Parts: sequence; structure tokens; C-alpha cells
Amino acid sequence: MSTLNSAPPRVPDAPEEAPATTPAGGKANARGRFGAKFTPYSLLVPSIVVLGVVIGWPLINLIIMSFQKFGRAQVFGAPPEWIGFGNYAKVLGDPTFWEVLGRSLLFCLVCVVITMVLGTLIAMMMTRLTKFFRLLLSVGLLLAWAMPALTATIVWGWIFDTDYGVINNVLVNVFGLDFQQHSWLIDPVSFFFVAAIIVIWGAVPFVTFTVYAGLSQVPDEVLEAASLDGAGYLARFRLIVFPYLKSIFVVVTILQIIWDLRVFTQIYALQGIGGIKEQTSTLGVYIYQTSLGSGEYGIGGAIAVITVIILMAISLYYVRQSIKEEEL
Amino acid sequence: MTSQTALGPTLRGTTPPSKRVTSGALRRRKTTTVVLSIIAVIIFLCAVFPVYWMINTSFQPNNEIRSTTLHFWPDNFTLRNYYTVLFEPGRTPFLPALGNSLMVTLLTVTVALVFAFLASLAVTRFRFKSRKAFILTILIIQMIPAEAMIVSTYRVLDGWHLLNTIAGLTLVYVATVLPFTIWTLRGFVNGIPVELEEAGMVDGLSRSGAFWKITFPLLAPGLVATGVFGFIQAWNEFLLALVVNSRPDMMTLPVWLRTFQTLTGTTNWAAIMAGSTLMAIPVIVFFLIVQGRMTSGLVSGAVKG
Amino acid sequence: MKKKLGVLALVAASALALTSCASNGSPGSSEASDANIRVWLVGTDTPKEAREYLVSTFEKENPGSKLTIEEQSWTGLVDKLNTNLSGSDSPDVVEVGNTQAAAFTSAGAFLDLTKDFDELGGKDLLPGFVEAGSYDGKFYAAPLYSGARLVFYKKDALAAAGLQVPTTLADYVTNGKKLATDNPGKSGIWWPGQDWYNALPFIWENGGEVATFKDGKWSSAFSTEKSLEGLKQVQDAMLNASRAPKDGKEDNPQVGFCDGTSLQLSAPSWVKWSILAKADSETPGCPDQEENLGVYALPGKDGGAASVMAGGSNIAVSAKSKHPELAVKALKIILSDEFQTIYAKGGLVPAKLSLAKELGTDEVAKATAEAAAHARLTPASPKWADVEAAGVLQDFFVKIAQGGDVDSLAKELDKKIDGILNG
Repeated sequence: MSTLNSAPPRVPDAPEEAPATTPAGGKANARGRFGAKFTPYSLLVPSIVVLGVVIGWPLINLIIMSFQKFGRAQVFGAPPEWIGFGNYAKVLGDPTFWEVLGRSLLFCLVCVVITMVLGTLIAMMMTRLTKFFRLLLSVGLLLAWAMPALTATIVWGWIFDTDYGVINNVLVNVFGLDFQQHSWLIDPVSFFFVAAIIVIWGAVPFVTFTVYAGLSQVPDEVLEAASLDGAGYLARFRLIVFPYLKSIFVVVTILQIIWDLRVFTQIYALQGIGGIKEQTSTLGVYIYQTSLGSGEYGIGGAIAVITVIILMAISLYYVRQSIKEEEL
Repeated sequence: MTSQTALGPTLRGTTPPSKRVTSGALRRRKTTTVVLSIIAVIIFLCAVFPVYWMINTSFQPNNEIRSTTLHFWPDNFTLRNYYTVLFEPGRTPFLPALGNSLMVTLLTVTVALVFAFLASLAVTRFRFKSRKAFILTILIIQMIPAEAMIVSTYRVLDGWHLLNTIAGLTLVYVATVLPFTIWTLRGFVNGIPVELEEAGMVDGLSRSGAFWKITFPLLAPGLVATGVFGFIQAWNEFLLALVVNSRPDMMTLPVWLRTFQTLTGTTNWAAIMAGSTLMAIPVIVFFLIVQGRMTSGLVSGAVKG
Repeated sequence: MKKKLGVLALVAASALALTSCASNGSPGSSEASDANIRVWLVGTDTPKEAREYLVSTFEKENPGSKLTIEEQSWTGLVDKLNTNLSGSDSPDVVEVGNTQAAAFTSAGAFLDLTKDFDELGGKDLLPGFVEAGSYDGKFYAAPLYSGARLVFYKKDALAAAGLQVPTTLADYVTNGKKLATDNPGKSGIWWPGQDWYNALPFIWENGGEVATFKDGKWSSAFSTEKSLEGLKQVQDAMLNASRAPKDGKEDNPQVGFCDGTSLQLSAPSWVKWSILAKADSETPGCPDQEENLGVYALPGKDGGAASVMAGGSNIAVSAKSKHPELAVKALKIILSDEFQTIYAKGGLVPAKLSLAKELGTDEVAKATAEAAAHARLTPASPKWADVEAAGVLQDFFVKIAQGGDVDSLAKELDKKIDGILNG
């Protein structure tokens, strides 16, 4: 992520290694030439209709709900009572919410940084592997990716199991350490260590495949020319490859932030295996517990809206970055 | 991350220098390839271990899964769990659930890719009012925690009489994957120079012809990456499928899988692992099919630049 | 007190309903004769025989109509009920966990069955479950079945330690500790930290309560003197008798029993079948241990059986059912003696007190009947399900299992539960 932060300013005045085809270049004229005003809108119609029906309408409901006292009785037809910002005040005044938020942000940060770095390194590595090893690696990553989050959590839970886990077994029998019946989940830091492994393990394949797909769009000539110039790998990446991948990077990073901050299945399932819930809940789990678990849909809605606002604030920086470049 | 970057040089340092090499550069390149291959194998093993453990477990009797002796290999090999999952009478059958899952997933991927391709063209190749708003909306939609919207989503589908139907679930999944797909494809389309399309149009193609014949093939890697993503999302989604398709005959695979988990009694872990293994197969098949596309996309990359 | 009032109100209401019976004969005729009644049964607890009986009896009694059993899983059941019961495609009859029932009765999700109370079994129905299925003096969800918690033990281990089956709760803990000391690395009482069900008897037996209701307000009572006494016993057992993971869950208890690491454990009666499951069954147990498997009802503080937590299910008709009359007819079959006897034969406590004798006469049956007679339930607050959903009890007992300070933890817990119950 730090590489992403430092690189952007270089892009607009793209260095001569990346010629006129720089992806994000100002193409106002070219776009203008495509003319016809209605065309873009008609291209958007299918997407807008689907999103409007399936997301838009429920979203409006959610926002309305967040201003109401909306519990289970309201689900079954009792008229809801308007309470203004009551739910928001309740959420923001609850220390639990702030603990959950802080925990989620930290967890998200760690996961996103490690996932992005690992994913990118593996993708770059893949471009330099022989066909056999590349296929081997992609199949391995795909297998990890294809595993449903719940199954993955169960299996990882076994690997770290207190009584019968592989990890404890190996630590005790091979390394002679005192890990007999060691609980990996009871301590919150250790809990999140395990959770981070599960989340990162599941997310790296996506980053790798996407970045790799992006890398394969970079014209070979450009890469070759650069390597003839004797540019170091890192410099080559930053100056030549990165501008091509820039949009993909921003996209993937933002997505990772969003997903990791909302992470639900892995944490929820892991809490079922062990650990102390109140010290390990993240935003996704907290929302689930509040709305579906406890039937406090109004409060759950308020937390959801607050989460979206926080996520918007975080990603705003990146969005502005990418928007500026495209002269949006 | 430091350990990862440090790994390269350290390993390279420990590799004994090759016997007879013509030039330093060539030797270095060779060593790098070997080192990278070794790292690739290590990463492969890390990625695959839980998968291996899942498959290993699926071939063991249920009472040996969690036992004081570790079974790195199914010593007491059994197909019992697969039998349980596939044929056990009284169980919700596997095949209808597989059918539902396949239908929903394939429809979702196809529809989402088509819609997203069109939308991403709109936002990258045209400038129009509210373009910015659209892109931002797409982004914001992805931030909404799905867990909070389940009741509302349910009611929308109920209103359209789409509960317990393939169409209803597909519609919801398309909407779930679409923002991601548009948002990511947009990145890929941005990577394809407009000049290529313009050149095509100079050669007598219509604009839609240029999109279709030039941009679309070049977009193959991106379509594959986002398609695989959409496939996995739709394939593994649990909570919505549970709530929206509650009739047993409309169940999808993830919901079906959970029928092996009981609240207080004995959870049939081995069967869950066998089911999960079966569930992974279509994803891999799908990937292998599109893999070919991905390579052909790379071949057509000759047009690039 | 409240319970008595509730039952009284029920009786009154049903009397009232009886007098008005004549007036509600008409809507039945308007019901389509080709109706399909959808019944949600959860999990695999209801035997196949019972399911077949239900379908065939219903279709015989209501020619032209159909009854479909849709098996649901316990995972996510509350989510599913929340949505599906409020939609247009609602199932007609649904099973719900007894501690989950209150959340739906209070929300108006179920059809009012007060007028059918007597016909469904009346005072013969398990009283605790009737209370769980009633709200505001009305009867919404009938008992379906119950399971009792029993203590399973290895006869040889108890004999080797020179111990007898305990007769008091204190003996039970002492025995457990002795077993654990005699057999290092094994559990004298297998008690994973998340298992709060088994802790409640200790509170009740010492005269404590989970929560009490007074002047329209609930107050959680974990930190009262009597409850604390029980909780300290719990901690003693968890720390000194159990080698189970401190943050573990109580599922799959047969695993430790079969591999020999759990010498005693308290679990629902049906765990017997998990332990004795044959080698070629789906989840094999250790049938060779049959001779060695002993069972008794958890002893009370001063002898006899302890008040244990009753698990089980209620069953109700959806308020949105399109064929309420037919649904109620199906419910009546489910609560018939014939149907309920099948549960009893399978080792579950039937919904009717008069059928308890059908449980059989073996050791487990006797212990089950004894435990069921002393079964108690969690507080009858519509918000209790939320306490469970929030997981505060699991957290509390995990901390107890770790050796945390009982007094301060109990005070903290009371504050949390008060907040939820009165929120």
C-alpha cells in the first residue's frame, strides 16, 4: 500500500518509457469523437435497472429503518415509530461500537497491506516462471480461492485446534515446545493472528490473479525495452509497469479495504470454535448480531450506514486520486 | 512483507555458483529462475495445505478426524463420506442442489459480465454527465454490509414473487457481483488504448464493431479474472441463499452443505469435507475452461502496443 | 408466580374460546381442498417413522390436501424464520427451539392457538414449554419434544478411582476432581468453556436464579450470593476436573469419550446414540464401550435429581399461513399420543407428561424421566433469545474457565444482561 501512496505523482507526466498509450492519459478529444449522447446511458441501463431494484430499494428501506424503532414486531407488521437520530445516538454512545470499530480498522489495515504485498509479489513472480510452475502455482492459488470461507475456517480451525491440531502437535512433538493444549483463540491478539491467516490466505489468490491479468496487458515490447535499458526490477516496476496497473491497483486495494473491514464469515465461524466474542467481534459480526441475531433492525441499519460513511471516508483518498488522473 | 522481499536475495546468496557459465547475466537469470521456482513451490504448498487437509479428511472415517494421532494420509481409507453426501437416504439430495447452484452461478456470471462490459465501456470510453456519480455509486454500493440488508432484500423479492426461484437468486447475485465487476473491468478497459479502437474504425468497423472485435478480445484476461471472481462469489454465497430459497428443492450447495451440521448433536465433519471437496470441483473445471481463454487473450496481445 | 398467572390466563382464555367455538366453523369450508401444508421440521431429531405418520394421517384425514415436510437446519434458523414467516411464501407449521420461541410469539409471528389449547393436550403439555410458547396470556407455540441432560461416565474409571455414582452436586464435583487427579491429562468432568447449559443447575441448586422479573423489569441475578456459590462450584469443576479447551464448544462430546480423554460428561440424552454409533454409521462412535457406559441424572444439592436446563423444541402455526385451519389440524396430529409416542421410543421426552412412561425402562430412560421431571427453562423474556444470540453467556463462562474472578465477572454479566432484557 505504501508503494501506492508514493507513486501517483509521477504518473501524469508519464516518463518517456511509457509512450502515448499510457492508460490513464487525457483522452478528452478521442472520447468526444465517439459522439452520440444517448449511447453511454443506454450502455448503463441494464446495470442501473438491476442495481436499482435489488440494491437501491432495500438501501432506501435500510436508511429509513435506521431512523425508526424497528424490531422483530415491526418485521411482522407492527407500525414502526420514528425516533430521529435515536439509533445513531445509541450506537455512537456505545463504547462497544468504538471498540469494534477500532479493532476492525486495525485488522483491516494489517490484512490489506499483507494481502496486497504478497499478492503483487506472487503475480510478478508468475510472469517470470516457466509454464509448468506458473500453472502449478495458479492451480494452488485457485484451490485456496475456491474453498468456501466457512469450510476454510473449519479446516484452519482444526489446524489450530487446542486438543488435536496439527500446529500444536508439531510444536510439541517436533520442536519440543510447551504447546500442549495451547488455545490459539482465547487471547484476542492470537485470535486475530489466526483470523488474519485465514483472511489473507483466501484473499491473496484474487489479488494475484487480478494483478497478473493486468500485467499480461502490458505490452511485451515495453517490458523488453526496459530490461535492455538495464533498469532494475523495482525501478522497472515502478516506472513502467505500475502506470499500466495503476487503475487496477487502486481498484483492488479499495476492494480489499471494503471486504476486510466488513469481514463476516471467517470471524463468525471462528468465534464458534473458540475465543471470547466481545473481544473479537468485528463490524460485520456486530451488525449481524444486532440486526438478525437480536432483531434490532433499526440499530443494525444505523451501524450499517455509519460503516458506509467510514468506508467512504477511507477510500475517498484513493478515489480522488484515481478520479483526478482520469480528469473525471 | 519484509521477510518476503528478503527471501529472494538470501536464497540467491546461498545458491552455489553454477559451474560453467558464459556470461554473468545469463547465470544470474538462470539462478533467479531456479530460486523463483522454489519459492513458487513453497507458496503452492502453503496455499494448498488446507485444501489437502480437507480432501484428506474427506476420505477418513468421521471418528478419526479429530484424534490424538494425526493422520497425514487417510490410513483407513473410506468412501463412506461421499456415499453419505451423495446417496444417503433421508438426506437432502446433492444433485438438485448442484443443479440449482450451477444454474444460478452460470447465469450470474454471464449476465454480470455482459452488463458490466457495457457499463465499463460507458464509463471509460464516453464522457457524460453523472459519469462520476455513477462510478462513485458503484463504489459505495460495495461498502454496504449485506448482513444489514437481508430483510429488505427478502421483501423486494417477495414483492416480485421471486422467492424460491432461480431467477430471484440470480437477480440478487448479479446485483451483488455487478458493482465489483464493473469497477474492476473499468480498470482493465482503461489499460487498453483507445487508439486501437479508433484504428479499427478507420479500417471501416462501426463503433460497436470496434468494441466487439478489438476491445472485447483484449479484455479477455480481465473478463476471466472478474468472471472467476463472480463464479466463486455466487457459488459460495450462503446467507442470502439460506433465507431467500428456503424450500429444500430450491437449495443451493452451500446451504445443502450446512444440513450436515447440527446444533447440539454430532456434526458430521467428514461429510462436510466430502461435500466441500465436491463443491470445489466445478470451480476448478470452470477455471480450467476459461484458462484457455486467458491464454488466447494473451496471444492476441500481439496486437498490443 | 408469573408462570402461574400465565397458565391461569390460558385456562381462562381457552374456556372463553370453547364458548365461542360454534361461531368459527365457517371459514374452513372456503379453504381449497387441494391445499399444500408446508411443515418445517428442524434437524434430524424427528424420526422418519414420525414423519411418515404425520403425512399419511394428515392426507387421510383431509382428502385432497397435501402435507410436505421441509427439513431445515438449525444453522441460521432464526434468520430464516425472521424473513420467511413475514413473507407471502410462509411455511404453515414451523418448529422452533424452545429458547427461540419467545422472540416470535412476542412479535406476532405465530397464530394464536389459545382456543385450541385444550384440544392440543391442555394441562398435559410440558408446562415449561407451554410457558415458553405463551405471551401476554395467549398460547402461540405448543411443545414438540424435550431432551434431558444426563451425566455419562466410564464405569471402569469410576471403579478404578474407588468412587460411587454421586448423590449430591458437591459429590459430583469432588468425584470429577478425583478422576482428573488420578488420570492426568484426562477430564474427570469434560466441560468446555462455552458450555453454559451445564452451569445453570449449579445456580438453581444453590437457590440462585438466572434472572428475576419484578415490577415490569428484569434483573439478571448471576451476582446474587446464592448464584455466586453455584458459580464458584462451576469454576472449581472447570479448573480442576476438566481438561477440555477453556474456550471450546460443547459439540461432539462423543469424540473425547471414545478416545478415552473424557471420563465423565454432562450432555443431552441423545448423546448416548452418538457414543454407541456403529462403526459403519455416518459418524461412528465406540460401540465396544456399551458395557462400560454408565449414566445418571445430575444429582441435586441435597440428593435427588438436580434442576437441569431443558433443551427442546416448540411448534407453531405461522400467522401468515394461507390455510390456518388445516395447519392447526396438522398440529393436532403432531401432538397426538401416537405421534408423540414415537419421540418417546426414540429417547426424546415427549410433549405430554402422560407419555413419559413410553420412554422405556432402561438406565438412560429412567435417568431421562428423572431429569425431565426437574427440568427448568431460561427466563421467559421475549428478549432472552437476544441474550443467547449476543453470546454473553459463552464469554462469561470462558472467562470463568480461565480462572477469572467470579464476583466481578458476574457483576459485569448482570449489567450486560439487564441491558439486553430491558433494552
